[in-house]
Amino acid sequence: MNYTLKIGWLYPDLMNTYGDRGNILVLQKRCQWRNIDVEIKHLDVGFLDTELKACDILFMGGAQDTQQMIVSHDFSANKTTLLKELVEAGTPGLFICGAYQFLGQYYKEADGTKIPGLSILDLYTEHPGNNRKRLIGNIIIKVNSQWSLVDRNKPITNKPSTISYLVGFENHGGMTYLADKSLSFGKVIKGFGNNGRDETEGIMYKNSIGTYLHGPILPKNPKLADFLIQKALTKKYGKVKLEKLDDTLENKARSVIAKRLGTAL
Amino acid sequence: MLQTLSILAGKTVSLISKLLNRSGSTWPGHAAFGLDSNIVKKLTRTNPKLRIVLVAGTNGKTTTSKMLSEILEANGKKVFRNEEGANLLNGIASSLISHSNLLGKINFDTAIFEVDENSLSIILENTKPYAVILLNLFRDQLDRYGEVNIIAEKWKKALENLPKETFLISNGDDPMLSYISAKSGTENYYFGLPKKINSSTGSDPLQSDVDFLYCPHCSTKLEFESRIYSHLGKFKCPKCNFTNPLIYSFDTLSNPLLGEYNRYNINAAALLLTEGFGVGLDAIEMSLQNFTPAFGRQEKIKYKNKDVFVMLSKNPASFNQSIQAILGKEKSPNVLLVLNDRIPDGRDVSWIWDIDTDELSRKASSITISGERCFDMGLRLKYSEGKFEIRENLEQAINYAISKLKTGHTLYILPTYSAMLDTRKILTGRSIL
Repeated sequence: MNYTLKIGWLYPDLMNTYGDRGNILVLQKRCQWRNIDVEIKHLDVGFLDTELKACDILFMGGAQDTQQMIVSHDFSANKTTLLKELVEAGTPGLFICGAYQFLGQYYKEADGTKIPGLSILDLYTEHPGNNRKRLIGNIIIKVNSQWSLVDRNKPITNKPSTISYLVGFENHGGMTYLADKSLSFGKVIKGFGNNGRDETEGIMYKNSIGTYLHGPILPKNPKLADFLIQKALTKKYGKVKLEKLDDTLENKARSVIAKRLGTAL
Repeated sequence: MLQTLSILAGKTVSLISKLLNRSGSTWPGHAAFGLDSNIVKKLTRTNPKLRIVLVAGTNGKTTTSKMLSEILEANGKKVFRNEEGANLLNGIASSLISHSNLLGKINFDTAIFEVDENSLSIILENTKPYAVILLNLFRDQLDRYGEVNIIAEKWKKALENLPKETFLISNGDDPMLSYISAKSGTENYYFGLPKKINSSTGSDPLQSDVDFLYCPHCSTKLEFESRIYSHLGKFKCPKCNFTNPLIYSFDTLSNPLLGEYNRYNINAAALLLTEGFGVGLDAIEMSLQNFTPAFGRQEKIKYKNKDVFVMLSKNPASFNQSIQAILGKEKSPNVLLVLNDRIPDGRDVSWIWDIDTDELSRKASSITISGERCFDMGLRLKYSEGKFEIRENLEQAINYAISKLKTGHTLYILPTYSAMLDTRKILTGRSIL
């Protein structure tokens, strides 16, 4: 059977600051290497509702403030409702840093100005002021075991064959707080995570993931990429088994960071 | 008295660090600052005839500064520059101190200082520059410099207070630099490049080394009639008509370096030299023909009887330009990519995903990868579906890459900053910094 996936990339020329297009490349190639037809749909300023609706996987990267203002302006009430529907319906999505914050209730800037978010995810972000250091550095998180991407049939081991540990780089001034901490995507092993305080990192809601992990996240966490692909295929075609790919190089790149941070994966 | 003491302290430290053979180009500044935080202000005030030129920008500072100083020297001026990497205020202080006598007198005509993006404001406050050159502004080491818009905003504020008589020389092909320069109170001069024929005009988002595609005035997407590279080119805002200022381009001058991006550096230098120093184009041309690049910037080194070309490639724009320069010269080049993530390189290696490696992967005869983050660079290349070899050990990587060379071929090494220093050390058998 021929499978086809459409990956919707929200605002590629605005929300693309930290090499986040690497995530798109990884999704694209890991589909192609398995003979899954894949189309990357750029959802630029002024995109149509129908274009968003046709997507099987959604991705949105981080941005600088001015760029994010342009996106805010473009994201009409209609588009917000539609995106919310897609998230609720379980469309797999990956929302990094600025996009993660944007999907929350609001972002409070250092000077106290509150910028409303899309209120799709129940979280808020506050900038603690410019005399507080940004949260910057390599980060390792352990994905919370309730999420379906953690294979519960396998015991979590230190082997890279399980998805439990994710490696990335974070760089954010805002601190994010979840209304319900049990929805956090993972627990911080090394680094700061959502706010540097409560050890939570990111959020997972249905099949949408919000996270601060750049790096970009997918190249060094190929199992997460495969999870998004698998979910999208299952939603569209029913249960599909993904062909295994060789991730030796990925695992080597992961272990360099783990070793540096003095932890096992 | 305090000034003399500070200078003495600085000079002593400088001497000691030289005796210890340490790389300490900012130590004298540190020592003098400890005694007098206004040392730069005082030294520039004591030497009103010293013309200070500040060169800022993400890429090209060292090359442009070297060009300026060599051409000025060839035209009879006494010139000094700050040392490699000493481009914060304390580096400027060190440079001024080591070129002054104990009374603070500096017997030079011109000082050319390359300045760190984040330090332009404070250095402008402390010096009264004769001229400021703004070369370009690209995303670079976001963990260290922060987002590029924030730097643009800082520069804009700093330029607003620039004395009227300062020469401001900016890149008129850069939408953001054109915008912030026009907002300054000085008389501006802009350099640029003529319209490129058959260039990409669209804004392919898969080209990810671009930062300013939207109008700085009204946030509408800019239309590019022609792009030289990244976001540099002929732009126009369809809504408010914001467009390039009048630019100077010195097309008759020769380019002693690889790559079109160096034309910007040449035009920036030529514009200041002609307008600010009265140097004629013939004299500029003569110096350019003898110009040799700064170390690590298209530096040619003989290693084990092979030609090696070291091209510092430290951010998406500079990496892409290095690739383009190489592919412009060779059909199927041999390259070695060296990725480190120390502080001077930026701890975050995400930026490698903003490089376009597909064309290189397709065309290269051999690609070798090394550096502390070699596996990350390997992954980048894996997703370009090319062939490559990884050698964690840099010396082994160099030797492996050399072994792949056919007779008469050149190895092109693209290292990040600290990787460039390590590479040179192996190639030349000594360290420079």
